[in-house]
Amino acid sequence: MYDLTDVLDFEALSAVRPGSSILISGPAMTGKEELAMQILADGSRHGEGAVVVTTGDRAEDVVADYGERVPDLDESLLGVVDCRGESGRSSEFTAGGTFVYHLSSPGEITGMGIGITKCMENLANNGADSGRFALDSLSTILTYTDKKTVFKLCHILSSRFDTAGYLGVLTIDSAAHDEQTLQVIKQAFDGMIEIRENDGVREARVLGLAGKPTDWQEF
Amino acid sequence: MTGSERPVVLIVEDEPDVAETYNLWLADEYDVRLAGDGDEGLAKLDDDVDVVLLDRMMPGLSGDEVLTRIRERGLDCRVAMVTAVEPDFDILEMGFDAYLCKPVRSNQLHDTVANLRERSAYDDLLQEYYALVEKRATLEATKSSAELADNEEYQRLTSRVGELKDELSETLGGIENDEDFIATLRGLGDVEEQ
Repeated sequence: MYDLTDVLDFEALSAVRPGSSILISGPAMTGKEELAMQILADGSRHGEGAVVVTTGDRAEDVVADYGERVPDLDESLLGVVDCRGESGRSSEFTAGGTFVYHLSSPGEITGMGIGITKCMENLANNGADSGRFALDSLSTILTYTDKKTVFKLCHILSSRFDTAGYLGVLTIDSAAHDEQTLQVIKQAFDGMIEIRENDGVREARVLGLAGKPTDWQEF
Repeated sequence: MTGSERPVVLIVEDEPDVAETYNLWLADEYDVRLAGDGDEGLAKLDDDVDVVLLDRMMPGLSGDEVLTRIRERGLDCRVAMVTAVEPDFDILEMGFDAYLCKPVRSNQLHDTVANLRERSAYDDLLQEYYALVEKRATLEATKSSAELADNEEYQRLTSRVGELKDELSETLGGIENDEDFIATLRGLGDVEEQ
């Protein structure tokens, strides 16, 4: 079981089943990416593997940021798929042993799958048979494809996590899409962490996972 | 029985004895088409073909080249590469859905073809699942929760969505391994930049 309560103190997050995928939904600038990275870093501090799929940040920035979050990080237990499409499809290892896979576009779904698979394979070779996965953000992928493709992608990823015992957290900008799109995408997940900000106070609540939606809670 | 309902397997193999052996093994369950080289294989390929068994090393067009042409034509058949050398993960990157190492045994051949057929069935199920989820979301976006509680179509959709979700994870074993994962994603028909 994955215990996320050190990051976000909800009873519903105290024992998340391996293979679960969670959608982190909220408007822009409310800390979705930060929360996703905290969830991953918390696992890495306990020696778990981590796979980050980024559509906005450079892979080397992700690795550097991750190193600051996790002192004594074993970099070989981190894998990054960089979807920004600044170059063609390629892969490399950083000096610290992090596997990095580059895509030529965030719409390249098969390539993303190959990158994720290679990251997971590399983590397994370095002793981490399971771990945590983050994708930031589905909203970018939605601009390159459509909601049908993103829904299926999320469903297939979720099935893959199920077999691999991974925990997945994927972010979406709730203000960037219509209600129906969010409603559809949500359906591909086991649960959702919803975030909002009121007068500079950030609040979260958990839906799915353990039954009834929780109350809003400051974090 | 015309046999037109049976799944179609295209075997592209330059050694006649090998091709005929595969044909014997598969002919009970499938409509088998035989092609002696890549050009003939492409000529015998159409929308009806479900699975292609493609020998990698052939005179003329290589298996890799044939695969590229198949993907260019946008056909949604599944392609297994038959090879003399154990390949690595890169063959998935090249666009193959599965591979078989020579010498191929009867049960391996049956398993591979059946698995590729299951992947297609999974795609169809996932498509149906999506269509229902979308329909239900439309209702949710346009009606109040009180209206939804009384809406028969909504109730029916909700129970069917639940059934399909279980079917997807159980009937076909979900996504069991890396090959399944990549092959299913490839089925989404994404924006590939070659």
